Amino acid sequence: MILSRVADALYWMGRYLERSENITRLLMVTEEMASEVVGLDENLARAEWHDLQTIFPSPDGQADSSHDLATLAHDSLAALSVDPRHPYSVLFSLKKARDNARTVREALTIEVFVNLNETYRELEAYHGHRVADQPAFRDALAATHRGILSTVGAIEQTLARDPGWLFLELGGSLERVYRTAVVLRTKLPALSTPQQEVDLPLYYSRWRSLLRGLSSLENYRRVHGARLESADALQFLIFDPHAPRSLRFGTAAVKDLLEQISGASELSLPARVIGKLASELAYQGEDVLLDGRCLPFLDHVLGELARTHETLSATYFGT
Amino acid sequence: MDWAAASSGYDEVFEIGGRPRAHYASLISILDSFTAEDVERRERLQKLALMNQGITFTVYGEQEGLERIFPFDFVPRIIPAAEWKTIQDGLVQRITTLNLFLQDVYHDQRCLKDGIIPPELVLSRKEFKRELLGLTPPRKIFTHVVGTDLIRSETGDYLVLEDNCRCPSGVSYVLENRTLLNRVFPEFFASYPVRPIKEYPRLLLDTLLFVAPRPSQSPVVVVLSPGIHNSAYFEHSFLAREMGVPLVEGRDLLVEGNHVFMRRTHGKRQIDVIYRRIDDDFLDPLTFKRGSLLGVPGLINVYREGNVALANAPGAGVADDKAVYAFMPELIKYYLSEDPLLAQVPTYVGFRQDDFRYMTEHLDELVVKTTGDAGGYGMLMGPVSTASERERYLATMKQDPGNYIAQRLVHFSSHPTHIEGRFEPRRIDLRPFILYGDRIRVLPGGLTRVALRGGSFVVNSSQGGGSKDTWVLAPREA
Repeated sequence: MILSRVADALYWMGRYLERSENITRLLMVTEEMASEVVGLDENLARAEWHDLQTIFPSPDGQADSSHDLATLAHDSLAALSVDPRHPYSVLFSLKKARDNARTVREALTIEVFVNLNETYRELEAYHGHRVADQPAFRDALAATHRGILSTVGAIEQTLARDPGWLFLELGGSLERVYRTAVVLRTKLPALSTPQQEVDLPLYYSRWRSLLRGLSSLENYRRVHGARLESADALQFLIFDPHAPRSLRFGTAAVKDLLEQISGASELSLPARVIGKLASELAYQGEDVLLDGRCLPFLDHVLGELARTHETLSATYFGT
Repeated sequence: MDWAAASSGYDEVFEIGGRPRAHYASLISILDSFTAEDVERRERLQKLALMNQGITFTVYGEQEGLERIFPFDFVPRIIPAAEWKTIQDGLVQRITTLNLFLQDVYHDQRCLKDGIIPPELVLSRKEFKRELLGLTPPRKIFTHVVGTDLIRSETGDYLVLEDNCRCPSGVSYVLENRTLLNRVFPEFFASYPVRPIKEYPRLLLDTLLFVAPRPSQSPVVVVLSPGIHNSAYFEHSFLAREMGVPLVEGRDLLVEGNHVFMRRTHGKRQIDVIYRRIDDDFLDPLTFKRGSLLGVPGLINVYREGNVALANAPGAGVADDKAVYAFMPELIKYYLSEDPLLAQVPTYVGFRQDDFRYMTEHLDELVVKTTGDAGGYGMLMGPVSTASERERYLATMKQDPGNYIAQRLVHFSSHPTHIEGRFEPRRIDLRPFILYGDRIRVLPGGLTRVALRGGSFVVNSSQGGGSKDTWVLAPREA
């Protein structure tokens, strides 16, 4: 049993830490994909950046699409990595994770705080420099990504599995599954249109990029081999029971945590909300993957995840 | 390496003539064996460690949320066992007196009736809380944690500069400085019997548990902080972590049925002892400052009923008032029938008409302070001020003479400090920490603050000060 305020801060620390990892990864994957295809199909490269802006929207709205591609890429990179005012920049998320960590340092370990603080400070030092050439920028993002992963490692290695940890993990898990749903919801409409005219290699590289963006490409290959079928990939990202970023796995993880927090007696409201969604994902027929049914289903998943967040905030944080 | 001795005041390290004092000889020879590059490299490591661990404080009046590291100088300050004995005995005597004084002014007021200190002076202090008259805190302890500031006179005697009986801060830096120095210059420790200080959090917890109203029922202790924007937030969090107790803010607490509880994810839990790092005025909007959002409505009532202990006790601030300070030697004699073991700086009290006249006529020779402020805010350094600064200050002084005291500028001691590749003398003070539980304990060490600007007398962290590790040596075995 911990202070509601501490639980609240740990939950948000978990969410922002996970979010910073997600943004970093998607930024690296998008940048690589866009620069790979730009010579072949400039519109595709442009669409990749626009998708990323939809997934991580700026309060100022979408960047002007009349910009040339180089400017669009540069601006998106700069905004989503080190713009301290962009609510979905890596820097902003790391700062929020660190601010929350600072308010509950007594609930963390020195290893967790030092790793998080160092990662934030290194990226912050990068802010203000102009986004240099691409390789330099990739290096900076890769370093940040490593820093975030070491922080996650420090959490795994040093934190006691007490109620505070449960809330930290809950924030991370909910953010992770929510992000997978948002990415699928954003990318799917363009991916599922009939592709007769489209160059097949490009089509596959978009799916590959989607899987990589959800760090699932290698996991997918272990299950389905190198053959990339869109139906298999979608099935994998939604229903795979073992892949940490599938909707089914992520929802089950949130459910487990909420059940532990709820305790042995009657289940709390958020535990019931997520439990229902988890069983849908476990028992749902794969017919939801059929054209026309998948997007409404994703909307339903997003809605229930949002409701989980709202009910758990009300139940445990009094907010 | 290059060493310079102090040009005025006592030099902690070098005798007149330039020979190092006996207890510094080994340290100097170790330091002399380093090259400038070694030192520079280690200093870089040390700064990085501070930043990465987030050992920072917040500066008021600048951009919100601005964090700074508290500069650390790696040349340790060394206090031999015999010197420490004097300091320790003097502090125990002083804290005993401060407590007796507080118990007295909130009850019989004998010292006022006997004319030891003018009643109007005590009763007019902002920190004297009329609401608490007749109230005795658990175990009659008002000042559980005190930080007393000491300086050394031109002849090397330790002088008390002020007592801090409210929420003295700095002990986290005392502990962190030791860790940091040991990490960066482990060689220093090999030839000195440095007394350990790391048990402070345990001693603090024992001190707090000692005053718990329900001693038999594994009492719940918390640290109450104003929150992350407070300049000492790092310390609040540090102490909570080191003691293994919750760090709470006012909004985490609630009063119900004359008990204090904290709001938790699964229901509330009763609290027995609050180590509060919030000023009296903000503790309880129902008793003190209305509209304070930092405190807990109804807290003082629970305290009055004896259902919660507050450390330090509300109202204790009147004992560290700078005007009350002037009467401490008389108060020690009055309560203990002893002579003070530690001298203090002669003080003009604006409350007395004669003193005030003297102050106004000699502003350029005096250091003038407001009685209730801390942190070097609201003070005038006469000897280094300009005529127009003095004029402006005088105008404010005249509006409330009782709110000011003045002292001659003491050229207090200097200690070699690493400044841009050289060891230069910089002025230092010392804040030992004293705990009052089942008995009075003085932590063998303290916060040595250093004025990093050459020639400066201001050691406050908010005004360009830094700190040093402070070594108290164990007595050599006979």
